[in-house]
Formats: sequence, C-alpha cells, structure tokens
Amino acid sequence: MISKKVAIDVLNAGLETGADFAEIYIEEKISNVIQIDNGKVENSSIIKTYGAGIRLLKKFRSVYGYTNDISKNGLLKLAKSLSNSFTGNREVTVTSIKTKKFKNITPVEIPYESVEKEEFVNYLKKGVKAMQDYDKRIIRTTAMISYSHKDSTIFNSNGIAINDSIERGRIALQCVANEGEKIETGYAAPGAAAGFEFFKNKVDIVELGKKAAAQAILMLSAKECPSGKMPVVIGNGFGGVLFHEACGHPLEASAVSKNLSVFSGKLGEQIASPLVTAIDDGTIENGWGSNNVDDEGNKTERTVLIKNGILTNYLIDDFNGRRMERKGNGACRRQSYRYEPTSRMSNTYIDNGTTPPEEIIKATKLGLYAKSLGGGSVNPATGEFNFACSEAYIIRDGKVCEPVRGASLIGQGKDILTKIDMVGNDLERSQGMCGAASGQIPVDVGQPTLRISEITVGGNGGELK
Amino acid sequence: MRLNEKKFFELAKANGFEAADLCYSHSISTSVSIFHSEIDSYTEHETISLDARGIIDGKFGSASTEQIDKNTPQFLVDSIKKTAKIIEKEEQGIIFKGSKKYHKKNLYNKAVAEMKASDAINTCLEIEKKLYSYDKRINEVVTVGYENEASDSFLSNTYGLKLKSKEIAYTFYAEVTAKVGDEIRTGFKVFVSQDPNEFKVDEFVKEVAEDALKKLGSVQCKSKKYPVVFNPETSSILLKFFLGPIDYEEVKKQSSYFIGKLNTQVASKKLTVIENGLAKNIFFKYFDDEGVAIEKKNILKKGVLETYLYTLENAKEAGVEPTGNSEVAGGKSHAKLNQLFVKPGRKSEEEIFSKIKEGVYITDLQGLHAGMNQRSGNFSLQSAGFMIRDGKLAEPLALITVADNLLNLFNNIKEVANNSKLIIQTATTCPSIYFKKISVTGK
Repeated sequence: MISKKVAIDVLNAGLETGADFAEIYIEEKISNVIQIDNGKVENSSIIKTYGAGIRLLKKFRSVYGYTNDISKNGLLKLAKSLSNSFTGNREVTVTSIKTKKFKNITPVEIPYESVEKEEFVNYLKKGVKAMQDYDKRIIRTTAMISYSHKDSTIFNSNGIAINDSIERGRIALQCVANEGEKIETGYAAPGAAAGFEFFKNKVDIVELGKKAAAQAILMLSAKECPSGKMPVVIGNGFGGVLFHEACGHPLEASAVSKNLSVFSGKLGEQIASPLVTAIDDGTIENGWGSNNVDDEGNKTERTVLIKNGILTNYLIDDFNGRRMERKGNGACRRQSYRYEPTSRMSNTYIDNGTTPPEEIIKATKLGLYAKSLGGGSVNPATGEFNFACSEAYIIRDGKVCEPVRGASLIGQGKDILTKIDMVGNDLERSQGMCGAASGQIPVDVGQPTLRISEITVGGNGGELK
Repeated sequence: MRLNEKKFFELAKANGFEAADLCYSHSISTSVSIFHSEIDSYTEHETISLDARGIIDGKFGSASTEQIDKNTPQFLVDSIKKTAKIIEKEEQGIIFKGSKKYHKKNLYNKAVAEMKASDAINTCLEIEKKLYSYDKRINEVVTVGYENEASDSFLSNTYGLKLKSKEIAYTFYAEVTAKVGDEIRTGFKVFVSQDPNEFKVDEFVKEVAEDALKKLGSVQCKSKKYPVVFNPETSSILLKFFLGPIDYEEVKKQSSYFIGKLNTQVASKKLTVIENGLAKNIFFKYFDDEGVAIEKKNILKKGVLETYLYTLENAKEAGVEPTGNSEVAGGKSHAKLNQLFVKPGRKSEEEIFSKIKEGVYITDLQGLHAGMNQRSGNFSLQSAGFMIRDGKLAEPLALITVADNLLNLFNNIKEVANNSKLIIQTATTCPSIYFKKISVTGK
C-alpha cells in the first residue's frame, strides 16, 4: 500500500487538467478455493488479487483506469494519462489527507488463515456424506469452500483516507440424482462476511447436505410444470431474488439518474401493493452483502426503498447522484480494482408482513407454490424479468400437492409489485452473487413467503387443471 | 513487468516439484462510452496475471497472482505446496511435454492498435446522433461505446514447452430504447472485429435502431405448442448448451446425458457440427490452456456424436488423445468447446417460413443462467420474437416462454437454414434452425 504523501502526489497529478474529484482505490486480496468431487479433494487454489484503480470526475464525466503497478511511478503514470482526457485548468488541489474511521460491522472470531486446510476438508466431507447417504439415486456430489481476506485503501481529493479489511466465506453443496434417463440437481450455498465461526456456529452442514439431496430426489419424481397465467406463492429466502431482479436493479442510480429506469421520477408514488415494504441494508452484522464502508468510502446504510408500497428512496452512489442532485447513500460497490464502482444492492429484502405462510397456501385454490427460485434476470429499460423455479409444487384447494419441474416465471417488474396480495411473516435471507456493470459482488436477497395474484408461468406441461 | 519463469522453475525444482508450468497473461485496453453527446466514461488499463501449477508427489497444486516482484516465485511455490498437500485425487497430475505440431498463425493486426481513441469517440458521437435521427420513436440512446483490447500470453513449463499468443480486437456497441405510448422496447448490438475497415456506421445504426423498432407492438401469443424457428443467435445458444455435457469429466462422473452415446445418434440427421478453433477470426486459438495443439474435428456428423472432449488427465484415463479443449480455471482443468460451425442447409429462412401456417420465430432468449438446466437438458426461458402466419413473419411477441428438453429438441429438427453467421456471444457460426413442436407460453 502507498503512503499519504504519494497519494497526494497522485491525486494532484490526476486533478491537473480540471477534474473536480480524484480517487485512488488500492486492493490486496487473498482468495482460497477447495473443491471436493465425489468425496475426494480434486482441486485447491490460492489466488492473489493486487492492483489499484484511479477515478477522475468532472461534472457528469468519469474517467477510470487500473493497473497492477502500484509503485509511485506506476500510479503517477496512470493518473497523468487519465488526466489527458480533460483539457481545462486545475480546480482542486489536495494538500492533506486525514484517515476516517468506521465501525467494523463484519467482525471475525476465527480468521480463515488461522485454520488448517484439512479442517475445511473435514467439515465439507460431513456435508458430502449427508448427501451421499440420503438416497442411492444421488450419483454425484460436489462440495466447495471459497474464502477471502481483502485489505483496501481509498484516498480521495476530499482529503480523506479509508482503510478497510473484510473477510468472507461461502460453501456450496451440490448433488446430481439420476433415475433412468432423468437427471436432476440439488444445491445449497450459505455464506457470510465473517470468519470460519459462521460455519462452525451457525450452519448445520449435515442438514444442509440433506436439504440439497432432498431437492434433487424430489425433482426426479416431478412432472413437467403446467403453463399459463396463475396465482403463484413464492417461498421465503431465495425467493427474494424476484424483488432483487425485478425492482432492485431498476432502483439503482446508474439507471435512475439517466431516466432509464421504469422507476425514474417516481419518488413518493405508490409503485407497489400497500403490503410491500422493501429494504436494502448494507449494515447487517456479518451479512454476506454487508460492508463497513462502500467502495467510494461512504458509510453503508439501511435504506428503506419502498414503504407500504410508496417509493421512498433509490440506491445511490456519489457519481450518479450528481445527476440527481443527491449524495450517495453507501450503495457504491465493485468486484475489484478492475471495475469502476457504481450503485449496487447489498442485502435487499421485502420486509415481514403479518400472515402466517400456511394461511397463504390455504387461501390459494389453484396455483403454483414456487418454494425455491434458481435465479433470473431483468431488462431495466422495459422492466421485463424472468425467474426459474428450482423447487415447485401445484397448490390444489389450499394444499401443497404434486411437485413440478421446469417452471419459469415471467412478467413486468412494475406490475408484479402491485399484484402482491399476501405477505407472510417468515422473512429469511439467502446468499447469492450479483453480476452487473461493476462486476460480481456478494449480495443477500430475502423475503417472507408471499403471493402474487397472477403471473405468467412457463413450462412444458400444458394447461393447469 | 515480466516474471523470469526460470527463477520460478528453479525454485520449484529445489522444493521437490516433479514438474511445473506458468502462464503469463498481459492485457491492455482503452474503452469509452457516450451519453447525451458527452463522454460518460473513459477507462484504460494495463494488467498482468500469472497462473502457476506444480506437481508434488503426483498431486497438483495451483496459485495465481497479479503482484510481480522479487517475492513472487516464493509466493507461488509456497502456495502450490499448501494446496497440493490436501489433494486426494488418485490420478497423477500431468504437465504436458508438447504436441508434435502446432498450427500457429499471427492474426495480430497493428492497424487496430493504431486506432485513435479520439477518432473512436467521434465515431461514437456520430452513431448517437444518427440513432436519434433514425426514427422519431427512438426516444433514448442508452449508451454508445467503444473498446480496444490487446492481450498476449505465454505458457511455459519445466519440460521446455514455450507457447505464445497475441491478440487484438476492437468493439463498438450501442443500446437504444424505442417508445410508443407506455410501451418501451430496447435494441442492442455489438460489433467486434480485427480489421478497422470493417466497421460501417450506417449499417450499425440501422441494425441497432431496427432491433428496437421491430419489437414495438409486441404481444403475448396464445399458449400452446407451435412449430418454432430459432434465429442464428438463439439457435447457437441452444446448441452450445446442448453440447456442453460432452466434456468427458461429466460423462465419467455420470452427470451427462451423453453417457454411452459416443458414435450413436444423439441428434437429428440434419445436424452436423464441426469444431475449428483454427478458423481465422477473433476466436482463433492454436493451443489450449494445457498446451495441447488445437485441430479441426467433427463433433456431430449427421447427428452422430463423434467425440467427447478430453483434458490431458481424462485422455490418459480413457486411453485416447487429448482433444485440445482444456480450460484451466483456479488450477482445475475442464474441457470446453472451441469455436463451432454448424453445417448450413439449403433453404433460406423465407423458404422455411413459407411452409409454416402458424408458428413462432424466436430472436431472443433470456435468463439462461437459471432457466436452463444443463444437467437434465430441461429449459424454460423468457423469449421474444415474432408470430409466423401464413408463411410470413407477423406481429412481434414479448414476454413469452419456450420450454422443452435439449435432447428432445435437437432430435426434432425439421430444417437447418442456409443463413449462417458468426455469433459473437457463442463463438459459433450458425444458421436459423426450424424445430417441430415446442411449448410456448404467452396468454
């Protein structure tokens, strides 16, 4: 990492031609991966990420560059090259830099580096055994742990330096079940911005293995999902990916500030059913998507995006905030120094309602119960989205009946929010990776069980009868 | 900065490594995007990375770094030792001594490196202006961008193998929205080339604008089974997923629907797919990540599966030659298809449409990472396209899904068209494909 004196020189070099803001982001991260395939460790790797990004801003223009050469000369060369994009005179000079401190919301009890790799292997193998023992039809298992420790420093022309360290770990258990010509899969992958204590204290890996295996076995007997418009009850936890894709992305300032989002200019308007309150919270202690500070050095926040159906806020970074005449609210993120940071989600969820989940099922005469979703995508300009169900059942006369496979849900983000007609009281969060302009970042999605009065279900099983 | 590979190899040997390899990758790029006649973002980068593997007691260890200094060889050797220690695989790791012959070609075009960023910015501004004036219904040019990227890599190992490659290409891309009333549709195109003279602004503007305009007035079709024609882009996507499980790793671990299907009919006789990584375009490659020479080969001949894909280790296990398909990521090798060519049929798209009374033409597939189950082959995907009525394209369709199983689908090909084109997204040269009946869900 570089000294404050070097940082001042580099920032001033970048500001020479009239940029009104300059920033240096330096990152050093060690990541480890261990993969077990059919009970044997097949692969293990150590990866070091190392480099710096320099960003210069002038009003609505941004210039970004990155390099592995973080020597004084390397950074000065990059800053000068970037400054050639502007042609004005110096407006800002940095004379001193003060280190700003933040509360550590991602404390670590057992750093991963303090644990022998064999211990991770033994831990994962308990999950592997649980999957293998579950049913003879489980014909392949894989287990993986990935963990990382990242040190980063941000210097900017507001005279601020921020040092941050964060540790994250995630495991993934996956299995393949086979019967005749049919092949199905099961999957579970919890993680946290914490040390190994998260897995030791909070994750029952045997139960997790059973859960993954049960999903694969169940899907073997599932019939093709019927298609058409129908009421859909979406299970808690990863079901929240629907809100993430259909509504979270269009609430990011990168789209909103340029009037490219269906939710641009809608603050204060009723955009969802009054039952919906949605929150993005980067401050949840040890949350998978939490950060002590965001990637432009702002404190992360708990932001209420929708309150009782009314749009109350967006996810804003300082740069896109310029077009909106708003300050960033701690939502600026990036995968690494190789990406220019921008507005992104952290831990995003629909808040609890009051209805017990059983009552939601009971109140549904004929429809789909999408217990678990696999992921999806959205076009932010049109709001059109799609999601695949990884575990789904038909609801008949208020009861969960036969499992179905190959179901996908499609619709319009703005319509779906208004069609949520029941919200449960069993909020749960799940972990995922979100890919967008500034790379792949860890995020939590979440929701209680909820019902959408009508949505298009795609499948190969004909009409729902 | 370059790491002297000799120092790493010497240290590896001194630490008891039986063999080691090192892949050095270097890339440099400039990119720019325009919004409302202003430069919205400008990015330049120069980065290196080193990926090293070593064999100790027959076990592979692996490490990567982006930091190159005097401590790098020690970091790599220590990390490889730590990671190799826990490997339990019975098969011995293999570092490759080399293929007999390599089909090396130099496709690096200096003229691309000499393209000036200032000229590219002017081109982007021109594109934006022309897009706005193309049609009143184009209400927003979301972005226009340019990127110029050069990369070079050097793979070497303790057996003296040394393989180099150097590439360069430039890209223009643009996205627009078209609006009528409350309906908004997006249009997007990417153009990639190794020849600065190939890019034609007016053609590009037309493609981007028409991509959005032709979708206006989209409706949902009635849910039922239709004969479906997939355009070259979407056909190539489905084909790439279909053939994914021919990696022998998946076959030997019972996770592929191609188990026991070698030299048998796995698809319609109308489908012939050739892999040719040596074709002279942006996807040219003459060696894989393990250093094995890439050759042209048949994958499917008249629907018969002619080969699985083998990494070095899987080839040894199966007693066959490696196929030049290895990709090493995080130390692990797996086999991945090089660029593909689908043998075109005789009929044009229009001739194919002319035989369909009521059908669907698919031009867009979304949500592939979740809606496509590559192990089972089942898919249910958000799609868009057009109705085919009485032999002709009719109203545009949006928010529909297509659902089927890949094995079933590719056994039900009615016709392969003759409109082959190189699809960047899938590195496949593919025509439209007409399939018998597929479930389409709309209203």
